[in-house]
Amino acid sequence: MPPVTVVIPTFNRPQYLHEALFSVVCQSYRDLQIIVINDGGVDVRDIVNDFNDPRIVFINRKENLGLPYTLNEALSRAAGKYICYLGDDDLYYPNHVGTLVNALENQTDCRVAYSDLYKVYCKVQADGSRQVLSKVVEVSRDFDRFLMLQFNHTLHVALMHRRDLLEKIGPYNENLNVLIDWDLNRRLVFFSDFYHVCEITGEYYHPMGDCDRISVQRRKNKNEYLRNVLTIRTTRPPKPWTKIKDLSIIFVTDRLDKMAGKTIGSIWNHTFYPYKLYLPISESDFNRLNTDMPNLVFVPVGNDSSLSLQVDAALERCEGEYIAVVPSGFPVSDMWVENPLYALIHCINDRQGFLMEQANDELWAAVMKKEDLQFARRSFPDLSVSESLAAAGITLRRPDFEEFPFQLDNLLHRALLLEKDGDWLEAAKMYEHIADRHQNVLWMKGLAAKAYFEMGNHVQARSLFREINQQRPTVQGLLMEGKIERENKQFNSAIELLTKASNILEGHELIWA
Amino acid sequence: MGIAQDNAGPQHDSTQHYEVLQELGDCHTSVGDYLQAQQYYEKAAVLCPDEAGPYVGFGVVALQQNLLEDAETAFKVACRLDKRSAKAYAGLGLVAQQKGDYKKAFEMFLKCLELDVDNLIALCGLFQTSCQMGSFEKVTYYLETYLNMHPGDVSVMYPLAALYMKDGKFEDSKKVLLDILTLDRHHRDAASLLEEVEHNMAQAKLAGVRTR
Repeated sequence: MPPVTVVIPTFNRPQYLHEALFSVVCQSYRDLQIIVINDGGVDVRDIVNDFNDPRIVFINRKENLGLPYTLNEALSRAAGKYICYLGDDDLYYPNHVGTLVNALENQTDCRVAYSDLYKVYCKVQADGSRQVLSKVVEVSRDFDRFLMLQFNHTLHVALMHRRDLLEKIGPYNENLNVLIDWDLNRRLVFFSDFYHVCEITGEYYHPMGDCDRISVQRRKNKNEYLRNVLTIRTTRPPKPWTKIKDLSIIFVTDRLDKMAGKTIGSIWNHTFYPYKLYLPISESDFNRLNTDMPNLVFVPVGNDSSLSLQVDAALERCEGEYIAVVPSGFPVSDMWVENPLYALIHCINDRQGFLMEQANDELWAAVMKKEDLQFARRSFPDLSVSESLAAAGITLRRPDFEEFPFQLDNLLHRALLLEKDGDWLEAAKMYEHIADRHQNVLWMKGLAAKAYFEMGNHVQARSLFREINQQRPTVQGLLMEGKIERENKQFNSAIELLTKASNILEGHELIWA
Repeated sequence: MGIAQDNAGPQHDSTQHYEVLQELGDCHTSVGDYLQAQQYYEKAAVLCPDEAGPYVGFGVVALQQNLLEDAETAFKVACRLDKRSAKAYAGLGLVAQQKGDYKKAFEMFLKCLELDVDNLIALCGLFQTSCQMGSFEKVTYYLETYLNMHPGDVSVMYPLAALYMKDGKFEDSKKVLLDILTLDRHHRDAASLLEEVEHNMAQAKLAGVRTR
């Protein structure tokens, strides 16, 4: 079996490190390299040495250089075929590494896999010990590349990836101070699908009350947080990308004025799909341009170039397989290009492009395949861009709502509104509909079961909870099924279910506990 | 940790462990395993010291073992922790009833029903103490309210029919008894009470008295 490197960065949490490290040492999968790296925190040498385990590599750095630097330092020493990560206050269940290795080696050609974890709400006692209040699976979402480009949906501690992917995506970004795990995940999706193992294989801890976690504290600075988000969204790992086709946005304008600057700024703020922005403008305009926006490509054109000439000039330089054309003054908001682009990516018809939702005759904006636009421009260079597309038989239309990305989230939002209105039955039906059509079956069935319970249909709720608990028992599922059994005076069955829940909460299910 | 918020809304369910322990306590109480039940209630009380639930549990266990003083103390603690704990007042009502203090029992059952008109123990307790005291004021209202929410609950329909009869409302009583017999045609008590009601109605008719 291939060796796996587990990276455990630590900083000033000696009271939990022992348990975290113990959970790694006790993995049923034995071929491990365990890198514990102290990021200039209190001395934890004794804790690490206590294990006397030759698989542990201990890096005891005295200077605090931050998490991305620390992770990169650890990765530079990593030797495993696969890498996974553990926070110094979190823990793996004994099957964590084995489950993910098995998935990556035998069940998929993905090079990244992730499992589910309990989020453990706890009260920290005066002596530093943690009193468990609840264990909840808050995130159990099947892989969605578009969503990952927009924001994170996997937990860093739940992730395992091949080490050789780091050569493609590069190291952790040391200029970031929050969301560094999303940055890594986002770059990974350029090269691999993620395989979701729908099993709970560990725990991450969330103390109640004011959280002193560095990542939480840093999120409070909104400007800094946004800076990080924009940096991540505009990061483009080196090509060739195997899983993402590039987008080139051609910005056309008569003159570079305030309005043009505003449109460019909006594109920067609102676009999450990887892109480069091509600016076919005169050299004098370019010199006036004052922006530190990344991924800008200056395309020199004459002072009085027509809009179609600007497009033609930019098209010569475009790398993307998809082209968006957008004029100055176009109202750019969230999903402005992602909605039509998603429709284009999933469109089975040839010679089809999509108009932006806000496009009209005066502010014409559309997204299409580069080859289609090239064909149209070569064939009808004297026509305007839209006329040349029409003449070349490339049809443009607005996408239907069903063609937009994030259908699951849209439906989920509707179901939540139904719940708010107290229409539990319709909400339950909506969750079941989502489970039928948009994956995430266990998650949706759990929500449906809860909705049935709330509306008083305990028969249906029990049936669903039972089905879920047979597949993947969780504390919440066992508690709900136990409650219903008690109501039905099936006390022995209730006791069995609730005892299982209690054992999970108290950690008795762990073979090493 | 950068992670998309679960679209299903945050589940900051900080009482889950407490709930599991409390449920386990209640289940063990129901099967008569009082020692185990007490252990779970103790754990629940340690986890959430401000919750009334475990003390209600202690009270119920003590009551089952006829330890009336212990039960009363536990229910009082529960009431102190949560002035709106209907179960705690029902428990105090049961203790008082067993001690023969029907006035107090009646008062406690009433308090309970003010907080939870759905509480069957208090409802039955109220009826019993009314019988014990020979005063049926207020009881009818609570029985009717309960039945509006739980139509067809024979265990409440029968005392209501009896109360109607006692108050001379023979038509109302007959209607409820017929409903009971529709639901359970083998309900002997209802059948014999119906006979009595019909007999009273006939006598009243003879005497020219309105029966409703």
